[in-house]
Amino acid sequence: MTTRKLLTSAILLATLFVLMAIDAADTPQTSNAREEIVFWHFWGGRDRPIVEKIVEQFNASQRQYTVRAIAMPGSNLDLKFFLSVAGGDPPDLLNHDDPIVADWAHRGVLTPLDELATADELKRLDAWLFPAARQLGTYDERLYALCNGLDIRALYCNTTLLAEHGLGLPETTGDLDVIAETIAPSGDAAGRRRMGYLPDPRRLWAWGVVFGGRFANPQARGLAERRSTRRRLLQRSLGWPTTVVVMGLASSRHSVRENKHLRGRRFRCSPTAGTRWSWTGNGACATLPKPSRLTSLQPFLFQLRPAEKNAGWVNGNFFVVPSRARHKQGAWQFMKFWTGFDGHEAEAAAACAAGGWIPASQQVVDQQAYQQALERWPLLKTFVRLASSPDQIPVPSLPVASLYYHEVVQAAQEVLYRGADPATTLQQAAARVRQRLQEVLDEH
Amino acid sequence: MQRRELQLGIAMIGPWLIGFFVLTLYPFCASFYWSFCDYDLLSEPRWVGLSNYRRLASELASGGPFSRALANTAYYALTSVGLSVVLGIALAVSLTWQVRGRALYRMLCFLPTVVPTVAAAVLWMGLLDPQQGLVNGVLESVGLSSQGWFQSTSAAAWPPAWPGDHAGRILGSKDGLVLMSLWGIGNLLVIYLAALADVPKGLYEAAELDGAGRLRQFRHITLPMLTPVIFFNVVMGLIQSVQAFTQIYLVSDGQGDPAGSTLTLSLHLFLTAFKDLDMGYASAMAWVLFVLVMLITTWLFRTSRHWVI
Repeated sequence: MTTRKLLTSAILLATLFVLMAIDAADTPQTSNAREEIVFWHFWGGRDRPIVEKIVEQFNASQRQYTVRAIAMPGSNLDLKFFLSVAGGDPPDLLNHDDPIVADWAHRGVLTPLDELATADELKRLDAWLFPAARQLGTYDERLYALCNGLDIRALYCNTTLLAEHGLGLPETTGDLDVIAETIAPSGDAAGRRRMGYLPDPRRLWAWGVVFGGRFANPQARGLAERRSTRRRLLQRSLGWPTTVVVMGLASSRHSVRENKHLRGRRFRCSPTAGTRWSWTGNGACATLPKPSRLTSLQPFLFQLRPAEKNAGWVNGNFFVVPSRARHKQGAWQFMKFWTGFDGHEAEAAAACAAGGWIPASQQVVDQQAYQQALERWPLLKTFVRLASSPDQIPVPSLPVASLYYHEVVQAAQEVLYRGADPATTLQQAAARVRQRLQEVLDEH
Repeated sequence: MQRRELQLGIAMIGPWLIGFFVLTLYPFCASFYWSFCDYDLLSEPRWVGLSNYRRLASELASGGPFSRALANTAYYALTSVGLSVVLGIALAVSLTWQVRGRALYRMLCFLPTVVPTVAAAVLWMGLLDPQQGLVNGVLESVGLSSQGWFQSTSAAAWPPAWPGDHAGRILGSKDGLVLMSLWGIGNLLVIYLAALADVPKGLYEAAELDGAGRLRQFRHITLPMLTPVIFFNVVMGLIQSVQAFTQIYLVSDGQGDPAGSTLTLSLHLFLTAFKDLDMGYASAMAWVLFVLVMLITTWLFRTSRHWVI
């Protein structure tokens, strides 16, 4: 083959490839000319078939839209999403569960739902959602995300075990350390053989709220006010809780010392192990963390105390629509279908019952399918009841919420793993968050 | 004819050139520009001059995450490269001995190298689990203290943060990473074995006639003759360990946990760019990292004339 022929062939091949690529991009991807909604999610394991079924049901119910669900690894979902946004080809819909709504909304990445929903729908949605679900999706008094499931935590205790060691119910986060140290003293060369309570750096979020702590000043509302006052309010909302958290962490380090500021006016039930609601194929159970030598532990006797106030830290799954999404209305229709809003409650209840998920609305909870699930797994009732509480508090809706969440966890790790001074650590963390907040506010 | 050959040559290397310009040169230059900008990936970069570099300097001075990442990276790079050289040479020399099943031993030593990084990381996370891991089980069975591994901030080079609680546990997350890096020593082994095969047999015969024992032969013949490949492996190992990411990301829960003890420069860079959306600052970090690696490599080259034969 001559050089000329070789070159000509290469050019022809390249041209053919480019033409095919252009053709593929222009061709509607559905044969029946319905609009395709590209939906990114990170559901896997036993949840994946349920998600696929929801998508199938939606597609079967539709003549205008069809959803194409794409499962992504949750660990780098953000990275892929940002690259798709930067590249101008974001998905139409994304499901997430990290505190990113305020960050992304502030940067203009998300579509406010008032651009998709009618005024009437918004008004009904406001009443329809649990307060926690509403808070999770709100930034600057606008709804940017639609919650489709809540992640609720509860504290349980083994009162028999506590009584055996002369311990009462904990009233502060510091009491958790007293429980841990009393039941399973440290200093044993072979390591702890049992666990009274398993310390976790994330507990400042998980239990801080339960013991009366807050991470944002509830009075510092009104983010929609003028920008000049807004900045002051945002900073104040960071300043106030830091004091509370510092005290909480100090209490956990010097565990014997009680802290009057964190005494449990709001605590609901007593912990010896942190639990999260989970579901197995045969029934309900509360999963325990896996402590050292689990076999040598006595069985935990779960005993739920009546709630005084159903306070807790909450997060959940939610849908967001990128501001540059192509098919926003289709995405909105699918969001409504999944969450159950606007007449789809029965289907949503069936899906939530299948997945053991906690719905975002009482109206879904009230459906027959979900009530039957609650009868099968009575323990789930507690979590569902907590979900409706106005005292379930998410990470504050600030444009640096992700950083705030991460810094608090890091600060707790510094204290727990390195023995750092709690007050100093948290003050440094707060300074970093404030500095970043200032930068973000200055940028936009 | 010459022109036609040139055209053909360009056509042949065209795909590579496109890849180089688009995937290497452009990001390289762009990251330099972004290091002087405030850039969140979602909006246009905004020029801020040396602000990002000043921030790096202040973080370094105040002991912030950047200084911790730098210290962790230095620990990981020095320990893993140092141990890989020692272990690599020791293994290579022992694999030259004429023993039965030598080929099998060589294959077994190389085999871990072909295991994908992610699979190896998951395997090591299981092996080094402080409660249920096999390694701690073996340590306990021979009367040694179990170690904290990936759930501890301790490091062999520094005393544990909580002596009372650790009770003899001196190895932590960074040491676990070093152990993992030694798992992939097979590549170095191949190079050392090739270098050992090149050592002239006459040198050993002459040394033997002079009455030199095995140890002396190793010290005065083998080791000096291996210095060029040691130098090569040290340079490559340092660069690779500074850039190590996948296994660290996996074992540290993607955050450098626990308490930033596995936060290396590459991980910090990734988190800054794609979690905090601070691409400008991350770019500045990348350039500092690049200059650092360049300086170390230059220093190694300059000092090599004193110890490389």
